[in-house]
Amino acid sequence: MIDFVQNTLDGVTAGASYALLAVGFTLIFGVLRRANLSYGPAIMLGAYTATWVFLQTGAGLIVLLVVAVLATVLAGSYVERLCFAPHRKGAAAAAMVASFAIWMQLEELATLLLPRHLYAFPALYEGGPLIFGPFFLRVESLLILLAAIAVCFVGWKVLYATRFGIAVRAVIDDPRAAELSGIDVGAVSLRVFAVSSAIGGLTGFLIVSSHEQVTPMLGMWSTLKGMLAMMLGGLGSLPGAIAGGLALGLIEAHSQWYLGPQFRDFIAYLLLFALLAARPPWMNTRSAY
Amino acid sequence: MRWLLGLAMLLSFEVFAQKAEARLDCIHTGKDFIYDCVIEIVRQGLPVTDLDVRMSADMPSMPMAHQVKPVRAQATSTPGEYRARLDLEMSGEWAVKLRLAGPLRDQLVLHYEFDERGARPVRRSAKSPRK
Amino acid sequence: MDEYALGVLTNIGLLSFVATSAYLLLIAGELSFGQQAFFGVGAYAAGIATAMLGLPLFLGLLIAMVCGAAVAALVGLPALRLRGLYFAMATLAAAEMLRILFELFHWQVEVGGEIVGPDGTQGFRGIRWVFERGVEPLDFLALVWGMLAVVVVAIHLLERTRLGIAIRALGEDPELAGTLGVDVLRLKLAVVAAAGALAALGGALFAHHNTYIEPRNFDIMLGVHTLAYALIGGLGTVVGPLLGVALDLGLLEGTRIFQGYRMIVFGGLVALLLIWRPRGLLDERVVHWLRTRR
Repeated sequence: MIDFVQNTLDGVTAGASYALLAVGFTLIFGVLRRANLSYGPAIMLGAYTATWVFLQTGAGLIVLLVVAVLATVLAGSYVERLCFAPHRKGAAAAAMVASFAIWMQLEELATLLLPRHLYAFPALYEGGPLIFGPFFLRVESLLILLAAIAVCFVGWKVLYATRFGIAVRAVIDDPRAAELSGIDVGAVSLRVFAVSSAIGGLTGFLIVSSHEQVTPMLGMWSTLKGMLAMMLGGLGSLPGAIAGGLALGLIEAHSQWYLGPQFRDFIAYLLLFALLAARPPWMNTRSAY
Repeated sequence: MRWLLGLAMLLSFEVFAQKAEARLDCIHTGKDFIYDCVIEIVRQGLPVTDLDVRMSADMPSMPMAHQVKPVRAQATSTPGEYRARLDLEMSGEWAVKLRLAGPLRDQLVLHYEFDERGARPVRRSAKSPRK
Repeated sequence: MDEYALGVLTNIGLLSFVATSAYLLLIAGELSFGQQAFFGVGAYAAGIATAMLGLPLFLGLLIAMVCGAAVAALVGLPALRLRGLYFAMATLAAAEMLRILFELFHWQVEVGGEIVGPDGTQGFRGIRWVFERGVEPLDFLALVWGMLAVVVVAIHLLERTRLGIAIRALGEDPELAGTLGVDVLRLKLAVVAAAGALAALGGALFAHHNTYIEPRNFDIMLGVHTLAYALIGGLGTVVGPLLGVALDLGLLEGTRIFQGYRMIVFGGLVALLLIWRPRGLLDERVVHWLRTRR
């Protein structure tokens, strides 16, 4: 029983990172109807840039956070202009393959900046974990969870209480109708991309500072987990993204405990495949492009 | 036509090649990512001399995209030892391929982790290498 | 020709199998992030056939293709009604599941005093059928390209038949194709299986070329790369994917000045190319133009 609760705690905290990643992916998918394969690498480039700044100047966490977010937003905007804006009216395959090509480009840029396989990153929190009886919860994980909640809250406010939010919701609902109503879909896309990248930059910063290390696997890892979580929660819905992220975290934590580390990933993929094959109504399989 | 010959090879008879073992000892030369390597080749415990050794490397992930230009290793005064310079595209884990010809025909694949010091042999655990 | 050039040409040939496999699915209207798994299935199947069961290479290749088609059909069947990104993610999930299964697969037998067989993450060593028969690199290259040529010609001829046109119709507009009498689901399954067999054939040849395979050879990188090659080479003709592979491996391997910056250059070029040509270099318009010049 203790293990079950501890695993659930671990799952929720891991899930918070996945939820943040999924939100970033979903924003882009909702507005553009395309998957951005460069999202993870942009986050990686953000984290790497922050690490590079840290190595050069030993700057504090706040500065590094700002650097990570700015670098990710820059990378994300670059991707949007090069891979998504030109293909808006055309086929999705070209946009996604272009985003894959830029994925390779961004990863190489990052490894040129920092060639080694492992770099230390300053810790998010210097103390030990919180202990409630037999359970423990790392403070870093709690901070990520709080960040996820904060992002949700701010996001909800923006979407439902600002003009920009209305424009975004209109584009998500029906891009052509939005365009006909006078909304500049291109501008909305670019800004959503920037917001999504900012969230990504924040997520990357939180992940590397809570693990206190940076590795080149971050790019692929973020992309996979983000897309998995997004699809588990039902494509295109923001609450779904968060639910999907938390669900992924829980599934992984429990699978790993009962079946071992290799099955952890296997079960997550199996579940996604089964869900896709069964196509439950809440999965929103309405035209994915 | 040579491709017909290739097709004929599909049905040809067996000729057994002998097996060998090798060990690598590499030092980083200081220039990225060039390593000076000493290759030790033994067969059934005894060093093998007068071999034609060609060394190249590949990355386990995306195996056909990072091909390193094969270099011919030079024999040293020590029997069974050969020297070659390996020019890799980046650090990390590489599958070093040794193609042997001469008194012994074999093809060996060794996994080594290359970093700024040198190379260490890799023995992977059962866990899939995620973050 | 030096051994390095032979190696590069052989790799171009091997990757072309996977790229062509992705191409088949692309013209049928679907993106697959999973063809690398069938490449792996073929590699393991052929390796087991020749190194552990002592069968000749020809049988190994055949077994590989059958296994590739079977596994692809098995995976494709539940995913058949999915479209677009959903189908792509399903292929990704399936491919990763297969790769993890390779990591868990342990089966070793004793052959000629040695232990041979897949050993989970340690890989499968000793696939030496080709090596033991003294086949030279040039002969193996001829074999790979010979088989690739047969495949390319076959697909090219297929595209001119009703079946080929039906596949492209499926890609253009499945609903319309359905109303015109195309059995959409069955055709899609057939394409999935054929693509699986094709990738598996490439994998079988790869296993024998390399003499060693491991699960990491068959990860997402391979799949997404070959998909990109198919798209940038062009979807108008089956020669398109070969062009895409050749462009990356050939051009940029040849220009060593790009070492360390290769993906930066190549990635940027690909993104730019796709703006200019969203369906690749040899897309349908170019191919049509080439054909009607006569």
